[in-house]
Amino acid sequence: MISYRWRIRLWGLAFVAPTIVFFLVFKYGPMLWAIGLSFTTYDMMKPPRWVGLENYASIVRDPIFRAALLNTLVYIAGSTVLITLVGLGLALAINTRGRGRRACMSGMFLTNIMPILAVCLVWRFLFHPHGLVNQLLRPLGFGRIDWLTDSTLAMPAIILVTVWRFAPYFMVVFLAGLLTIPTEYYEAAEIDGANVLRRFRHLTLPLLMPVTFFVVVVAALLSARIFLMPFIITGGGPGNATRVLSMLIYETGFSYMKMGRAAAISVVLFVIVMVLTVIQMKLFTRGEEDYA
Amino acid sequence: MRRRAAVSAALAWAGLLPLAALTFLFVLPIIWMATTSFQAGEKMFQLTTEWIPSAWHPENYPNALSRSAFPRFFLNSAIVSASVMLGNLIFCTLAGYGLAKYRFRGDRLLLLVILSTLMLPLEVTLVPTFLVIHALGWVDSYQGLAGPLLIDAFGVFLMRQFILKIPSDYVEAARIDGAGELRILWSIVIPQCRAGLAVLALFSFRDSWDQFLWPLVVVSRDEFRTYPLGLVRFGDDYGNPPTEQMAIAVLATIPVFLLFLVLQRALRKGFDLSALKG
Amino acid sequence: MKNVSNGHAVTRRQAIKRMGALGAGAAAVTAGAPRVFAQPKAPITLSFWTFDNPQQRPWIHKRVNQYMEKNPHVKVDFQWFTFADLGKKVSVGYATGTAPDGFVTGDWLMPTWLARNLIAPLDVKLLGYSSLDAFRKDHADAFVAGAIKDGQAYGYPLWFYGFCNYLNTKQFKEVGLDPVKDQPKTWTELGEVAKRLTIKQGNKFTRQGFKFAMHAAQWTMIQFNPIVSQVGGQWFDTSGRCTINNEAGVKAMTIRASLARQYGAEDPADSIATFPLPQMDWLKERCAMFSCHPIPPAAIKSQNPVMESEGYYLPVQMAGVTPDKRYTTCYGFNFVVNARAPKAKQEALHDMYRFVMSDLVDCWQATAPFTLARKSGWTDDPRVKSFPHVQEIIKAKDNGVFFPRTPIWTELADAMHRAVQKVMLNNADIKTALDEAAAEVDRATAEFKKT
Repeated sequence: MISYRWRIRLWGLAFVAPTIVFFLVFKYGPMLWAIGLSFTTYDMMKPPRWVGLENYASIVRDPIFRAALLNTLVYIAGSTVLITLVGLGLALAINTRGRGRRACMSGMFLTNIMPILAVCLVWRFLFHPHGLVNQLLRPLGFGRIDWLTDSTLAMPAIILVTVWRFAPYFMVVFLAGLLTIPTEYYEAAEIDGANVLRRFRHLTLPLLMPVTFFVVVVAALLSARIFLMPFIITGGGPGNATRVLSMLIYETGFSYMKMGRAAAISVVLFVIVMVLTVIQMKLFTRGEEDYA
Repeated sequence: MRRRAAVSAALAWAGLLPLAALTFLFVLPIIWMATTSFQAGEKMFQLTTEWIPSAWHPENYPNALSRSAFPRFFLNSAIVSASVMLGNLIFCTLAGYGLAKYRFRGDRLLLLVILSTLMLPLEVTLVPTFLVIHALGWVDSYQGLAGPLLIDAFGVFLMRQFILKIPSDYVEAARIDGAGELRILWSIVIPQCRAGLAVLALFSFRDSWDQFLWPLVVVSRDEFRTYPLGLVRFGDDYGNPPTEQMAIAVLATIPVFLLFLVLQRALRKGFDLSALKG
Repeated sequence: MKNVSNGHAVTRRQAIKRMGALGAGAAAVTAGAPRVFAQPKAPITLSFWTFDNPQQRPWIHKRVNQYMEKNPHVKVDFQWFTFADLGKKVSVGYATGTAPDGFVTGDWLMPTWLARNLIAPLDVKLLGYSSLDAFRKDHADAFVAGAIKDGQAYGYPLWFYGFCNYLNTKQFKEVGLDPVKDQPKTWTELGEVAKRLTIKQGNKFTRQGFKFAMHAAQWTMIQFNPIVSQVGGQWFDTSGRCTINNEAGVKAMTIRASLARQYGAEDPADSIATFPLPQMDWLKERCAMFSCHPIPPAAIKSQNPVMESEGYYLPVQMAGVTPDKRYTTCYGFNFVVNARAPKAKQEALHDMYRFVMSDLVDCWQATAPFTLARKSGWTDDPRVKSFPHVQEIIKAKDNGVFFPRTPIWTELADAMHRAVQKVMLNNADIKTALDEAAAEVDRATAEFKKT
């Protein structure tokens, strides 16, 4: 008979198996095809032709690729940090006792259910030089701000919309995490004399680690893939100020019909995100054995 | 004791004010969208917003719905998104459980491998995924629309994190009592990660609901179009008031919002359960 | 099987030649021409894709349905997509073997399809013309430049139009200008007139004198292209290198920037233009003049009913560097045939296309004021002549110039769009911006040559 430990292991694999099979067909197959494509030149009409590393050499020499790369890194960093902080902050604020908390949570979550196309259209309009955002800022002493047409402000504007859109979503995730911390822990800590700050640092934060890990990784992944928002709100402009890699991939592949080149850019993005995720894994899952 | 209760009650109320203000700021663009959906067409892009329309135009809604086969589009979106939600709930939970509770060597590597499916942008995998769907004969069908989205690595990751927090002693104790693995999953693990399941249901439904690029590629006939494809068509039509586009956008928020309201209760229940145990 | 289809094709060609001879030299074949043979025909299914437009698409659909009624053995699978998505769908279609048998394409994309041998040359005889020369003479010059290559025609035109300068006559009169007599004929005059029409409060423009469109690459190209041509500039030299950054190019860009920089009559950052309504600023009377394709009254009515009912707008020819060079870009949409479609389907498509375009007055009535590339068969009809301002619109079409003909059109347009953004929004140096654009275009050319 199979030993107990092996039986457990087999069950574990059995649970994960359907997902792996599904991914093999629908994800890994296409991904390998795309990676292979990066070593070819392919315009979708004629069969792909092998060119080795030429695509990679070419994009490294391309100033627009380098600009998009920088924009993407800035965007990922800015969005991830802000989404995590704002999401956690909102969740902590909502998690206090008192009336109206649930209503606020539902209200803020609405930003997530607005169709993405509507989000882009509305915000493009709100950021107009004489639009609502500037109208609200004027009493605070700000003059006219060209949010979407000033090359230094366009990226922050897009990051702002991103945080607006996703922070409430992760707020709900953090809340779900906070809710699973039993209140007795807090009561015990209070009896032991810990104040709010100490309770937060030594109780809440460590117990929230699995959820925080999730939020940081997912926020970074979402930011790396973001496409419709910069595409519709600024079209990558002004100039190349908000052109991120996913936009460049889309343009290169579908507008210019250079699928091989687009695949090469995607592989670069893939490597960046992979490295980021591995770093995050190392940082956040050091203590995971404690939960097993 | 009583003074502390009074102070914390006062703090609770005082804390509400900035929170409410923040909520209001968050919600402002949505209110804009909703107000504009009731305006006359030519008021769409006025820079000084008329928060309460001087003239209400509720006919924007039936007019917008009749521009394209929107009732059908919404139905299609609902069928596809519900299927995707179900698929994710079932398979992501299974996979997340497997990764969280059955520690084998390399399970973190497996997690990375699963997460890697999220690292290549959709645009490059569009064509090969279409080829797979085409080979299966699923072009222009519900299976084609929902198929590639049925299991999402985000979902697997989410369930893994939530199930990790469930102390293993429960699982071990149940095993010693002789419970089968599936029984353990159903009776012990799932009730304790209700909050995670609620979040999973919500975002898998919403991600599918919002999908644009994939339906564009896989569908060419009206009978399978989803509402984002119809919404984008508005963009080509100067004959129709753009406020009608906002009306469709407002309608599109309703199913996800209803789902959220329903799941909010599950979130709250999760809190009560964990407070009661042990 | 093969014999049947060959026999089928020969019979139809003979019938069409007969009908062509009956039509007195003019290209138009009336819709009601009776079929002179009654042999049973093999059923044939055609897939046909087009873009969406509130008037144009329903009219094409109507005509296709009429064609199916008259030809019960033909079944057309008619699908449409948004303007921006049609190209993508067709590309993915070609890549996966699911491309339509026939589709409508913007004529600026013809070199893209042609460079990859994706569209088939057309048999102009099947379209009712005795020769390619007859076909050429019956269409606007700019269309010919875009559709005929190496002695073959590849596109059969639907709509084709140029841009006009649309004036807000009420605002003209407000500042004491006569919209007809004072219409700007040169870029200098345009600047001066625009300056007079501008109203400013502090750093906010209440009214801009003139606006260029900057919301999308295609419109940037449409409006910049004729200026380049007018100053004698060239997009490419004979070796294929991009020369937009030469002296003429700089001059063209300086003119482009002059409305804002020199005359202070435009605020490029202040626009409410959108994809479906690039003329929003003009429709909302935030600017007095706007360069635009023919604007249907329905479009004006949807955003400014008063302007439409009182009619205080006037299209005139756009400005030129000299009064005799008041031309704009012309572009349009063509029926094309998938080169990979079987012969029988290709011929059936010719027949269908010819039928659809056989009643141009009907087309005009449904889609006015969008003009047609064909010269004959509609301009003399009283229903056409009575349309307001139609002469200006037809003149713009007949005098316009085509885009640069290049398979890297999209890359070129994007590079120019970025350059214009840098110049107008970031106040960049013109020569530097054009140098960067030319370098981008040269890189794109090199990339394209690799395939």
